[in-house]
Amino acid sequence: MGCAFLMLVLCLVLSNFIYEKYYYRQDLKESDAEMLLKLDSLQYSSDVLYFAESSNATLADDDTCLLTIAQMIDSLNPEKVVAIDHGAIHAKTYKSLIENIKEDAKVKTLIVTLNMRSFGANWIHSKMETALMKANVMYEQIPPIAKRVKLAFNGFDNQNDQMRGHVMEDHWRHDYIHLPDTFPYKNVRTWDNAVGGANVLDFTTPDGDWDMPRIELATSYIKTYAFSIDTKNNPRIKDFDEIVEIAKRKKLKLIYNLLAENTEYADSLVGKPLTDVMKENAQMLIKRYTDKGVLVVDNLSVVAGEEFTDKRWTSEHYTQRGRWTIAKNVANAMSVK
Amino acid sequence: MLFNSLHFIFFLPIVVLLYYLIAHKYRWALLFIASSYFYSVFYLPYLFILYAVILIDYVCGLLIEKNEGRRRWWWLLASIISNIGLLGYFKYTNFFIDIFNEIAPLVHVSKHIKNLDIILPIGLSFHTFQSLSYTIEVYRKKQKAEKHIGYFANYVLFFPQMVAGPIERYDRLGNELRINQRLSYDNISHGLRLVLYGLFVKMCIADNLAPLVDEVYQAPQNYYSSSIWLAMIAFAIQIYADFYGYSTVALGAARILGIHLMDNFKQPYFAKGIQDFWKRWHISLSTWFRDYVFFSMGGSRVKTFRWIINVLFLFALSGFWHGANYTFIIWGLLHGIAYLLDKGISNYLPNQIKQMKLYSILSMLVTFMVVVIIWVFFRAKDLTSSLVILEQSINYGFEAYKHIEVSWIPLSMLGIFILFEIAILDSRIDNWIASKHITFRWLVYGLLTMCLLLFSGIKSIPFIYFQF
Repeated sequence: MGCAFLMLVLCLVLSNFIYEKYYYRQDLKESDAEMLLKLDSLQYSSDVLYFAESSNATLADDDTCLLTIAQMIDSLNPEKVVAIDHGAIHAKTYKSLIENIKEDAKVKTLIVTLNMRSFGANWIHSKMETALMKANVMYEQIPPIAKRVKLAFNGFDNQNDQMRGHVMEDHWRHDYIHLPDTFPYKNVRTWDNAVGGANVLDFTTPDGDWDMPRIELATSYIKTYAFSIDTKNNPRIKDFDEIVEIAKRKKLKLIYNLLAENTEYADSLVGKPLTDVMKENAQMLIKRYTDKGVLVVDNLSVVAGEEFTDKRWTSEHYTQRGRWTIAKNVANAMSVK
Repeated sequence: MLFNSLHFIFFLPIVVLLYYLIAHKYRWALLFIASSYFYSVFYLPYLFILYAVILIDYVCGLLIEKNEGRRRWWWLLASIISNIGLLGYFKYTNFFIDIFNEIAPLVHVSKHIKNLDIILPIGLSFHTFQSLSYTIEVYRKKQKAEKHIGYFANYVLFFPQMVAGPIERYDRLGNELRINQRLSYDNISHGLRLVLYGLFVKMCIADNLAPLVDEVYQAPQNYYSSSIWLAMIAFAIQIYADFYGYSTVALGAARILGIHLMDNFKQPYFAKGIQDFWKRWHISLSTWFRDYVFFSMGGSRVKTFRWIINVLFLFALSGFWHGANYTFIIWGLLHGIAYLLDKGISNYLPNQIKQMKLYSILSMLVTFMVVVIIWVFFRAKDLTSSLVILEQSINYGFEAYKHIEVSWIPLSMLGIFILFEIAILDSRIDNWIASKHITFRWLVYGLLTMCLLLFSGIKSIPFIYFQF
């Protein structure tokens, strides 16, 4: 028994040495976790880190200004602002990355995108989640060989796509909507089914046919935004709460950038009940985090519908004008407080 | 729960500890709870399907034994219909809906049926077959009906082998589960060796080859024939390593609990003919089909033509068992044809030739290549892709094609694996290691552990046979 234990310890120490020296970087790349390397260097050379998903760097085809939101904030602010960003990441990833900021780092302020869509079942159970959780293992503060063991032995949430789909369906059925009792749909699924069945809204073309693209877009808006954030069980609430704690512990100033959503389209496609739910969620988030001492910049409705680059689905991808609007709001808030 | 998971690494020692600590009369309850938990980690609601299978076959077993004559047959039929019905619903419904949708327009039926959103319960094909073998054996009066539902439940649920076999028989596993197993160094050491080697085979061989295979099979039209052949051979090794690795861990986990499961593989790629291959590959399924389907159709005692049809039917059925797709049926049929050809040729070849060393080597190589080619139908997503791969395998020299790049890690892991497989020829890894000097044994443990730590695949490739 003693011999086995000794051999295991020896194997672990030796493996850790070999792994860190020769293969760790390769695995960071393979796990799509190179942000860690970026963070390791940027935390010593910048004042402000801007944590974001694809909203930061997605451009419109006809943009003449190719700056990202972080670069725009940087240009409006005396401090050096750089982005740590990657498509589809969310608060859980931010949290793991922020844990990696060292005590002696130069960085003193964190701006974190507060993406309302990331609180929805669509994103929580997205097919990207397995890859994100895998990358998250690489951000953990454990020896490199332990990260590898966790990856190889499935020590992360790695449900398959079909299973995630089932869980998402279940989530929709139980995602209750807090609207007046006169509102007939109590959860995302029933509302989505009603609109999808084209019984509720007038989605006909001038020829009298069903306007399928509009119906599909409307149902996608419902599936994305029609939920009241459950502050007790929503995993993103837990993650953003923990980010607040980590920032306090590390003595970092924290700014939550509540991203703009296409409320204009939501209103025109589905109507006031949907925008009411969105606004209610936004107000709840702003109050919750302002009370916790976070500076929350409210950008929910500041970008006009036409400034969103994706017209056929929901996203937080803006044209240059949209990005400048958000950057200015954040920069202004930073300069005031 | 996956064998290659941290979850299992903590689960197994806890179960083993409790198993040997508690009195024998309560062990069935511990195994039942542990196995239920093991399965519920995949998807809790489907545990109740398993419970339904257990309950139905337990009751059917008792009623078959209690009754005589025609009534016995009716209860057996009830068991068959329940098991095959469940399997049919979860595994084949969408396949038959697709067939209907393809045929409907041809006969001027405008109805289109939407596919159902069904998740196949992991290992359903395995535990329904295992459970079914029990009721058939009771019907044949070769097995007494189990009175204790707990023991019967454990026979179906036993966690080391419930999701991907080996498909055990009640006279073996059922009886082993009743024995008061004592903690022994022999069982623990043999079991741990099997677990370690099984994980090495799955995680260092199968999981390292999987990305290479996936890359080529996703777009075979883009690759040089050499890359296609590489992927074809790599898949043959991947699927073997994947399933053999799983089965070896299963054997090891059971052995730690003192239970001996049957060997599911005997180095199939060293087979000298397709007949020999099927005596070495997925032995528990081959013997299941032989005992319950082939013998029921008359076995080898029927006329030659009927026998040929029976063999082809059996192989096609075995293919269909694997998956609801034409490709699996073709895979089975091609094996059936190869089996018949092998049988025909070996009947006519003089013994002097068969005893030549060169003949043995050539037979081994030819068998391997035939199996590699037939695997294409198993792996490709549909019939068209299978044909593209076979076409590309003989399509040389177009400059636009890509070469697949192979890193040294899978190659070196494969080298170690082949050395082990040659060394343990006609033996098994645990027995082979046990026969060596202690220094050598620890060197082997160290090597396998280091390989697992440093070179196991990190792409979370699920066990291929889980989908069946």
